[in-house]
Amino acid sequence: MMTQYEIVVGLETHIQLNTETKIFCSCKADSWGAEPNTNICPVCSGLPGVLPVLNAEAVQKAALLAAAMHAEINPVSYFDRKNYFYPDLPKGYQITQFDEPIGKGGYLDVHMPDGSTRRVHIHKLHLEEDAGKTKIEAGRRLVDFNRCGVPLVEMVTEPELHSGEEAAQYLTELRQLLRWIGVSEADMERGHLRCDANVSIREAGSTVLNTKTEIKNMNSIESIRQAITLEAQRQIAAVEAGERVESYTLDWDADTGTLRKMRSKETEADYRYFREPDLLPVKLSEEEIARIESSLPELPYARKMRFIAEYQLSAYDADILTSERSLADYFEETVRLSSAAPKTVSNWMMNDLLRLMNDLGKSASELRLRPAELAEIIDLVESGKISPATGKALLRKVEESGRKPSEIVTAEGLGLIGDEDALRSQIAAVLSESPSEVANFKAGKESLLGWFVGQVMRRTGGKADPKRTRELLLEILRK
Amino acid sequence: MLPEKITREMFDKLVSLAALELDEEESEYLRTELNHQLAAVKELSEIQLDEDVQPSLHGIECQGNPPRKDEWQPFPDPDAILALAPEREGRYFVVPEIAQPGQEGQ
Amino acid sequence: MNTTSLSAFEIARRVRAGELSPMQVLEEHLAQIAAVDGIPGQLDPPAMDAREEQKVHAFIQVTADLARKQAEQIQAKLARGEDPGPLAGVPVSIKDIFCVQCTTTTAGSRILYNFRLPYTATTVARLEQAGALILGKTNLDEFTYGSSSESSAFQPHPNNPWNTQHVTGGSSGGSAAAVAAHETPLSLGTDTGGSIRQPAAFCGVVGLKPTYGRTSRYGLIAFGSSLDCPGPMARNVSDAALMLQVLAGADPKDSTSSIQPVPDYLAALAEGVRGLRIGISPDYDHIAYPDTETGEMGIQAIQPEMNQAVREVAQVLASLGAEIVENVPMPNARHGIPTYFVISRVEAASNLHRFDGVKYGYRTQKPVQDLSELYRVTRAEGFGLQPKLRILMGMYVSAAAHSAHYYQKALRVRSLIRADFERAFDPTGPYRLDALLTPTTPTTAFRRKEVLRDTVLMQYSDQMTVGANHAGIPAISIPAGLDPQGLPIGVQFFGNDFREDLILQVAYAYEQATQQAPWRQEVPQALRATEVK
Ligand SMILES: [Zn+2]
Repeated sequence: MMTQYEIVVGLETHIQLNTETKIFCSCKADSWGAEPNTNICPVCSGLPGVLPVLNAEAVQKAALLAAAMHAEINPVSYFDRKNYFYPDLPKGYQITQFDEPIGKGGYLDVHMPDGSTRRVHIHKLHLEEDAGKTKIEAGRRLVDFNRCGVPLVEMVTEPELHSGEEAAQYLTELRQLLRWIGVSEADMERGHLRCDANVSIREAGSTVLNTKTEIKNMNSIESIRQAITLEAQRQIAAVEAGERVESYTLDWDADTGTLRKMRSKETEADYRYFREPDLLPVKLSEEEIARIESSLPELPYARKMRFIAEYQLSAYDADILTSERSLADYFEETVRLSSAAPKTVSNWMMNDLLRLMNDLGKSASELRLRPAELAEIIDLVESGKISPATGKALLRKVEESGRKPSEIVTAEGLGLIGDEDALRSQIAAVLSESPSEVANFKAGKESLLGWFVGQVMRRTGGKADPKRTRELLLEILRK
Repeated sequence: MLPEKITREMFDKLVSLAALELDEEESEYLRTELNHQLAAVKELSEIQLDEDVQPSLHGIECQGNPPRKDEWQPFPDPDAILALAPEREGRYFVVPEIAQPGQEGQ
Repeated sequence: MNTTSLSAFEIARRVRAGELSPMQVLEEHLAQIAAVDGIPGQLDPPAMDAREEQKVHAFIQVTADLARKQAEQIQAKLARGEDPGPLAGVPVSIKDIFCVQCTTTTAGSRILYNFRLPYTATTVARLEQAGALILGKTNLDEFTYGSSSESSAFQPHPNNPWNTQHVTGGSSGGSAAAVAAHETPLSLGTDTGGSIRQPAAFCGVVGLKPTYGRTSRYGLIAFGSSLDCPGPMARNVSDAALMLQVLAGADPKDSTSSIQPVPDYLAALAEGVRGLRIGISPDYDHIAYPDTETGEMGIQAIQPEMNQAVREVAQVLASLGAEIVENVPMPNARHGIPTYFVISRVEAASNLHRFDGVKYGYRTQKPVQDLSELYRVTRAEGFGLQPKLRILMGMYVSAAAHSAHYYQKALRVRSLIRADFERAFDPTGPYRLDALLTPTTPTTAFRRKEVLRDTVLMQYSDQMTVGANHAGIPAISIPAGLDPQGLPIGVQFFGNDFREDLILQVAYAYEQATQQAPWRQEVPQALRATEVK
């Protein structure tokens, strides 16, 4: 009988906090697109004599993230020095949190497509500074310190994920959460969210942890899914062939979809951690912790479940509408302002608003078309004052002009023709132009009714009230 | 238990971890002094401490400014920092390449 | 007699009153430097003749142009009727461990040779703001690692103005010598284990180590970051108070700087010692010294004149109305140096990581194969023996395998050392001291080269001073006589947290009461030489 294997994955994530400035100096946190070594100062480039000064906002955001991860926020945490030599580390030590980090414990519930939930525990959650970047050119290293001192939260999971799929889902939900609570842009391509994976295999049912390999450089969720799957397959094949899994670091090449061995993992380096004497302990009072915890918004999964229960949305719609917090807020605000059923609002958003956002490359919070305007448009359509087609066109007009929907309707004469006399004269004109169709109808081909409605709509530029038109047509033709 | 004395071999490893290299004379002198200093700190291990004696980070408990506001204040002259570089290319600091493991000592 | 004999207080008073031109003050001090200092410390010094051997060599760099510009600014301010500051026209020298824009900052090390930083230390900026004239950068032990100033990569090292065959002490030896030899009335030093107070004692000047955090460390190239304190060096107590007034205060660039309000140090000076309780401890009349082979600690007597000086100072204070409290136990004082050997080395090794030839300073000229060789050769060539030894010791005692045994233990022993002082100063405790009086050093200034290679003995030169650094408390060393060789003796007052005002007050009372003492009429050898001429 074939041996069944279980894949064991732990993830180490680095999350770039979206503060205005770096963690220990007043340089800009984000250097995207900047020339090398322009966003630097004596502190972050490791000049002698200068001292780190902690950014209060980085602490707030890390604590908020800890709360969102159900971790305990440490009332007193400490910074430590991690000492090693590397050219991207200008001080020769990284300021990080070693044994008393800001967050203790915590977990993230990962919801798999099959409906199952996997609770992934957090082994460690701490604040630290980022290092710079190096690149190789003509056999030499070129060093850029712009990224030095960018605030990061490092979060390490327990080895509780069991496939590339689960790891990818973890990252998807983590990314959603980070944006949801507003602590990070979580853009993987820009390195705001980075992930390394430790992968090992074991016989199903076993609880031992076997030798693991570490995969680096996976900068998309798809890469994570593929790389872990591939590495697990490789390990299983090796073991099946009677080989041993060796501990080394692998580099993911997204272009070729392959893993490359970087180096054997050296024996654990000795970083000689000790308390950073240049900084004071990070203290958060009970009141501050309570304030941070209470400022935490309803989290995505809870909100999704509430949307299903409270608004009778499908799981699919609820999932999409809670993919981002601004979208979920937009939905609920529109529901509150509109007299239409939540399901109707959901349809408008799923079908039309998302397309508009997509076309314009805007998030819900960036639209000029606010929930009040969307609610107004939906209500105009629902009450028969404008046609659905006009309503859809109005979305874009409001977005582009910033004017009120009702104003545009009046100014452009977009209101439906519900007036009986006006409709009758339009119908008369259509009928007089189409004697043979009238004859055919009267001869019993009643399926032509739709064609007549279409002709009236065409003559009125879509403004004829379709329901009323149909009623009047039947009345006149059957006379 | 800690070794009584730092041997030549231990010392050489320490020198390499410290990113230093020493000539023979320096090496002998510094190892002797290091052993003398370690002898001098030996008494620390003999001090009996009550459980409640906490580590002291600064002697006094510092009452400093609260953490700073998240406000951007660009350093006026990043070029002055770059100008200190022993070797540079364009706006980059330049160093020799890092040896790959396995290449070293070949 | 010219302005080089005046106190800082008097120079500032006359300059502010328009009685004295800052330019005259400056030129007379530059002339004094030219007369007594000899060649400045340099990396490749010429052979020394007998004449140079008798010079002070306090400076690595004299910044006459910078000081002239500052003097012009003072004159312009006076002409405009603006306040030129409490140190208007007062020449100040700066230990070359502080970053000062427009000067090179060497830390006494080859690795920072010819190094100009684009910022100025907060303490130096405050001196400039107060109207001081920055006359130059003074020599020191390499990276402040030492107690004799001989280990500087910039030679000749400073000599003791009282006898140039003896050391100045260190590591603020250049600063102490510059003040003693009337080259500048004030100097800015740093004290990590005694580096202000020990050379002050050796050179017969006043040196004050403030409470940790009272003065900003921004712009000070770090040695032991949890111990380092910038502080004033002066020829008398009121000048030290005047300078501390300018230096002290919170700094947003140093998170560990204190937000405690700064009192008026000068106002408190003349309040006298009546009713103050001054302690003396039997644990400070000898030192515990290890056998460097076995680590066995033995008791060693200190130079008898030191204990005698403490007795005499106590008598003077008692006669002024102070209450002398005998037998104050300080049982953990003996652990000061072992604890320091661990904590300061761990911090130093880490602080030296950044000197790697990548970003600034010295880089080896030898061709190298790869980055790690660049690090090794640069650091091997750039650092002298003392930094190397501190790196090795610091790395050893903080290694994961040894940290609990050494580093973590040392941090806890540090609490014991602090607890001794807390008990002594506790206002509801058995001793209720306002100050603790001790010798500053176990001996007067030793001869050049006598101790240099014995790093344990050298370190024990800080045995009496290092407790203040561990505990974070303030301490001041003041001159209290001369030994039979004519070398200065210093005594020290420790004070409670942020009570610089009280120890200055006690020191001032003693100083005023002994103005007529015969030893105060003696003049350092370096000054006698210029007078003869
Ligand atoms: Zn910066």
